[in-house]
Amino acid sequence: MFLTLFRRELLANLMTLRFFVVVVTCLILVITSTIVLLQDYKHRLAVYDTAVKTHREDISDAMTYSKLRLYVDRPPNPLSIFNQGLDKRLGNTVHVHHQFVPTLLDALQHGVDNPFLNLFSGMDLVFIFQVVLSLMALLFAYDAIAGEREAHTLRLMAANPVPRSLILLAKYASAMVCLTLSLIISVLLALFLITTSGLIAFSGEDLLRILGILLVSVIYLSTFYLIGLLISTVSRRTATALVFVMFVWVMLVLVYPSLTVATLDRLIGVDEKLKAAVSEIEQFWDRYDADEKTSVIKNSVRAYSYPTRIGHGDHLKYSGGYNGQTLLHHRFWWTYSYDSIDEDKEQFVANLQSHSQLLESSRIRAAEKTWLVRKRALDQTYGRKTQVVQTVIRLSPAAIYDLATEALAGTDLRGIERFAESSRQYRRALIEYLHEKNAFSSRKWFSHDKGRVSWDDLPQFSYLQADLGSDMIDVVPDLILLLTINLVISLSVFLTFRRQAL
Amino acid sequence: MIISIAKRELYDNMMSLRFALTVLLMLLAMVANAVVFLGEYNEQISNYRRSVAQEHKEMKLHAENFPTLVLYGPGELHKMPSPLSFCANGGEAFLSKNTDGRPLERWWGDYPARFNGIWRMTYPQSNPNLWNFLPESTQMDWAFLIGIVLSFAAILFTFDAISGERARGTLRLTLANSVPRHVVLVGKFLGALMSIGLPFLMAVFVNLFLLYSSGSLRLDTTDWVRLGAIVLVGFVYTAIFITLGLLISSRARQSSSSLMVLTLIWVVWVILVPNTVGLAAKSLKPAMTGDEFRQRREALYQQVTQKYLDRGLLDSYFDPREIPPAKVTLLWGEYHLEESLNDERFLEEHLRAQLDQVAIARSLARLSPTAAVQYAIESLAGTGVSRHLQFLSQVKIYVPEFREFLAEVDKTDPESPHALFFRPAMSWEPVPFETIPKFEDRYSFGDSLNDATVDSLLLMLVFVVLSAALFLSFLRVDI
Repeated sequence: MFLTLFRRELLANLMTLRFFVVVVTCLILVITSTIVLLQDYKHRLAVYDTAVKTHREDISDAMTYSKLRLYVDRPPNPLSIFNQGLDKRLGNTVHVHHQFVPTLLDALQHGVDNPFLNLFSGMDLVFIFQVVLSLMALLFAYDAIAGEREAHTLRLMAANPVPRSLILLAKYASAMVCLTLSLIISVLLALFLITTSGLIAFSGEDLLRILGILLVSVIYLSTFYLIGLLISTVSRRTATALVFVMFVWVMLVLVYPSLTVATLDRLIGVDEKLKAAVSEIEQFWDRYDADEKTSVIKNSVRAYSYPTRIGHGDHLKYSGGYNGQTLLHHRFWWTYSYDSIDEDKEQFVANLQSHSQLLESSRIRAAEKTWLVRKRALDQTYGRKTQVVQTVIRLSPAAIYDLATEALAGTDLRGIERFAESSRQYRRALIEYLHEKNAFSSRKWFSHDKGRVSWDDLPQFSYLQADLGSDMIDVVPDLILLLTINLVISLSVFLTFRRQAL
Repeated sequence: MIISIAKRELYDNMMSLRFALTVLLMLLAMVANAVVFLGEYNEQISNYRRSVAQEHKEMKLHAENFPTLVLYGPGELHKMPSPLSFCANGGEAFLSKNTDGRPLERWWGDYPARFNGIWRMTYPQSNPNLWNFLPESTQMDWAFLIGIVLSFAAILFTFDAISGERARGTLRLTLANSVPRHVVLVGKFLGALMSIGLPFLMAVFVNLFLLYSSGSLRLDTTDWVRLGAIVLVGFVYTAIFITLGLLISSRARQSSSSLMVLTLIWVVWVILVPNTVGLAAKSLKPAMTGDEFRQRREALYQQVTQKYLDRGLLDSYFDPREIPPAKVTLLWGEYHLEESLNDERFLEEHLRAQLDQVAIARSLARLSPTAAVQYAIESLAGTGVSRHLQFLSQVKIYVPEFREFLAEVDKTDPESPHALFFRPAMSWEPVPFETIPKFEDRYSFGDSLNDATVDSLLLMLVFVVLSAALFLSFLRVDI
């Protein structure tokens, strides 16, 4: 019985103009945007390669330890083609230095050729599915019940010994088959284009992630279909259902997410807490200043920073500070690379060595303390704001879909935070390395007159690998949320339809 | 006759569900707009005034010693914020608020001061995306209301305007009277325009009322004219989609397929096209990357410096205060001038290349009337790219003026050796602060209107083409 119904519905759906239009539109959009996105990925990859090369050269250019300029880069995520998330937006290069513990906010962009282009919002495959396929799902659903009621075929059907739930189920199943079909065709086509471009070779794990994205997409489509079905059930006329469905769509997909982000971003301020953190951090560096002054006296290093007249200048004040929107940039690199040391200054070298050791250790201490305060401040401001916005925005299934696929693609905040964490680990490795080499108390800290530093055994940066398992677990709450919405709506559809006069 | 048809349409629409929902949607968007932009202008204008005052204070300090003024130049030049940014935010956050006239600091052993380049105009960039963790979103400004909500409403009000009446048979009835077809068409068009225009105007008034009564809005006459022009552009834009809706509706056999086609066109035209072009423009004409830019700038500096070193910049000892100046003194002046001008030109070219990319992206985006209407509103509101370009062109006029002024001051001092832009060999007198030309950012309604013309004309063009198509199609269609 179900099969007969299902076949009827499926044929009715497949033979319509709308199925054809859905598939064709979706395919055209997916093809064009995949091509554009691939171009963009290629460009970003090239920029990344150049950045890595340049930064490697920077290392070998440093003749003294203090002159080291160490940058690490984040490669573009190939899955950003599916959901770009924050992959393109946030910084992708971090300065690794013992005097400073980097956070995600300190990352800059290595290859921004043109920040003005940020004026144009980006686009990805999930965005197309989010907008186009949800609309299609609704357009499949709005007349499913109301249309048949108007045509009086519903009565005819119900006159047979068919349970009403079966009618609903057949409609749902057939529509989902059609929608899923167009989704799968689009994704396969996109995958085909991507693999034939030769730019990206997806690993097994990546394919699992794509599969996950596909699964979430299907649930997302089901949500919208059910919303449409509910509206179709309660509306007496198809025309009303249609208008209502369109409004629900524009509200959930386009208006509500932007509205939430815009208003909450404005309402949740961050400045006060940041200012408090800045004044706390300033104390650490005041203490560092005191350390430096003591060391200057103790080691009797004075005079000016001319190459052949060794010594530290009197610039004890730190630079950096708080500039409106960024926060708490505290960094001041003094670098030295003297190629000769005057003979009459030779007597100061030992003093200077012990001075640098004291100074750099004090700087590392201040940096670690600063990091703790910064981390807290960032969590309480930007972190909290993001959390609140992400919670409120989840009232819209479209936003849930976006966030879940972002997590699966590894382009969400957590995925990119991994880069910051990797660079912090690398910083620790660097400090260990410098300690091992006794770099801070070495003559090579400031001068290469007796041979330059060789960087051969400098530890390599390794980007913490994304963990598929934990990313999947991350998505579970969103999945449950989507499924719950599905269940609630299908239950209401079922209950309304059961008690309805046909 | 037209009026009675339009009136019937209007009444029909006003009693419908879609009218209520449209009103709701528009009010929601406008209240959100008021919340987001409440107090924003007050903040911006006070920040602007503070920065300008700060710059003047510093300039006054520098002016006490002429060489310092030559070193630091005019400092930061600030862009005046627009009170109408709630109409179109225009991505102001991505356009820097100022340019920066500043020296090039170099460390050259024993000669630090001499090798420090004198001021040149630089163009700092702003990328707030670096600390934006929030989900992608659109600004809640009038441009959103007009671009998305109005066009959407237009489709909803027209998709069954003709196909629905045909299905019910009322179209035949109407035409059985002695009513020409085009009259029916115009009547329907006006009816739809009014049914969208009324809630739009209402939402606009609610929004203005909220902003005005909270004291965060103070508008002068030209601002009101600007607002009027923005509303007018909004109407033209809505008319495009009404015509489109009527066109598809007149061709479609069923209302549902009419809506289907219309929504697809809408999604592609309004949502997808404006979002895709940024990416496309990037690959069309790639600019140099940040690293490349820094390297080339450094190379340029080294090249100029080397050229002058070869010409004997460091060869002989000299007294820069000697009159007439020694050859080397003059060489130093020449060096500083050339170095700063070269650098300035390089920075300008870089900026130009970036803005060219933006221009390409914007031209591509104009394939969609939504982008065109957004740009028109931005221009009229005095925000966004066109306003930024105006600001930059004013800076471009001011920079040589300021440089000329420095030369003039030096000329009048008899004790100066007149080796222009070599600070030790210029006038050492203080300069009265009042005589220094100040930069003042201004933008006139004329300029804004000028900038908005292209986009407005484009919108008109689309409207006219679509109307012609609609007219022809409706005349020949079977009822």
